[in-house]
Amino acid sequence: MSEYRLKIVTPDRMVFDSFAERLVARTQAGDVCILARHTEYIAPLAIGEIKVKADGKWRTASCSGGTLVVTGGETTIVADTFEWSDEIDLERAKRAKEKAEERLKNNATEFEFRLAELKLKRAINRINTGSKF
Amino acid sequence: MPQSTKIIKNRIKSVEGTKQITKAMELVATSKLRRAKDNMERVKPYFESLRELAEDIMEHNTDFSSPFCKGDYEKPSCHVIIAGDRGLAGGYNANLFRSLEVKDGDFILPIGKKVTEYFAKKNVTVLTNAYALAANVRSSDCMQIARLLANEYKAGKFGRVDVSYTKFVNVLTFEPDTEILLPFAPNEEREKKAGVLTIYEGGVDAVFNQLIPQYISGIIYGAVTSSVASELSSRRNAMQAANKNADEMIADLTLKYNRSRQSAITQEITEIVAGSEN
Repeated sequence: MSEYRLKIVTPDRMVFDSFAERLVARTQAGDVCILARHTEYIAPLAIGEIKVKADGKWRTASCSGGTLVVTGGETTIVADTFEWSDEIDLERAKRAKEKAEERLKNNATEFEFRLAELKLKRAINRINTGSKF
Repeated sequence: MPQSTKIIKNRIKSVEGTKQITKAMELVATSKLRRAKDNMERVKPYFESLRELAEDIMEHNTDFSSPFCKGDYEKPSCHVIIAGDRGLAGGYNANLFRSLEVKDGDFILPIGKKVTEYFAKKNVTVLTNAYALAANVRSSDCMQIARLLANEYKAGKFGRVDVSYTKFVNVLTFEPDTEILLPFAPNEEREKKAGVLTIYEGGVDAVFNQLIPQYISGIIYGAVTSSVASELSSRRNAMQAANKNADEMIADLTLKYNRSRQSAITQEITEIVAGSEN
């Protein structure tokens, strides 16, 4: 299968900079699959799983938002956070989930409520991706 | 002069004690600096790709409008100010504060303990003090800061947002710098690219508006890492200078000590000789 250049960057590091055959990402409008020679495309990412097929192997990762860009035959994911399934700290995610649930119960201000909600979503996403591995 | 030899000896001891501390601080700063520099390099691709992306979108779409592109100079501004948590770093904090242009009634978001202290008695509104320790700010914190700023900006609380930090050029050069975050404007020096037809999931406006907080967070995180590297570098240089001064002082005092000891001995001998002659 033909390949294309895929770059995944987060604020902390360059996670991936190599060739991939296929990519499935969760955008805010739903899952999309990017193959080689995709048209120019920009989409905001949602909290969810991202799957990458490179060297014939699938890898799964959890992503908590960002932007997916296909331009000039290259694909870039600029992610807020991005962790491969084997890098996820499940214990930490579970703790974060409990903490967020606690906060949601003690009705805080609207801003804090939304923050806790997002935290909970991210934690659940990490747990889901991490436990599949 | 046994009295003065003793005084000099005590001074040598105290200078040596100070030198030990400055030496230790220099070593600590040196080892931390390496990590801070690595960090800084790692953030670069992130915010550079974000900036390019936002500029591309603005340039290739004339028919879109975003609340993040319109500024209002009548309203107060919001300044994100990044300085150190501790002193003893040469002119690091002072240089940054001197470069600031904060007006009465403006909002500030301090990062670093020294900033909070500096603005404690000034007529400004502190947006949040949650990020007072610059050394502890991580990328997730920057994300929260960016969302907060973007929301307040959209709500019209302030008409401009900028970030003041210390730019790390190399280990000897770092300069205070201020960058405008909002309203977003493309860099004029950038070369124009031919427009391409792009599919925007959810529409251009939606993509752009969600990109901006991410971009702000990238810039702030980049500024924090650059500031931390500058602070450590500045502290290292200051401590290096302090070490050199301590060495000079010790050499000087040792010379004085030896002289005064020698003159005391000479005097004693003279006295003994004088006594035995009688």
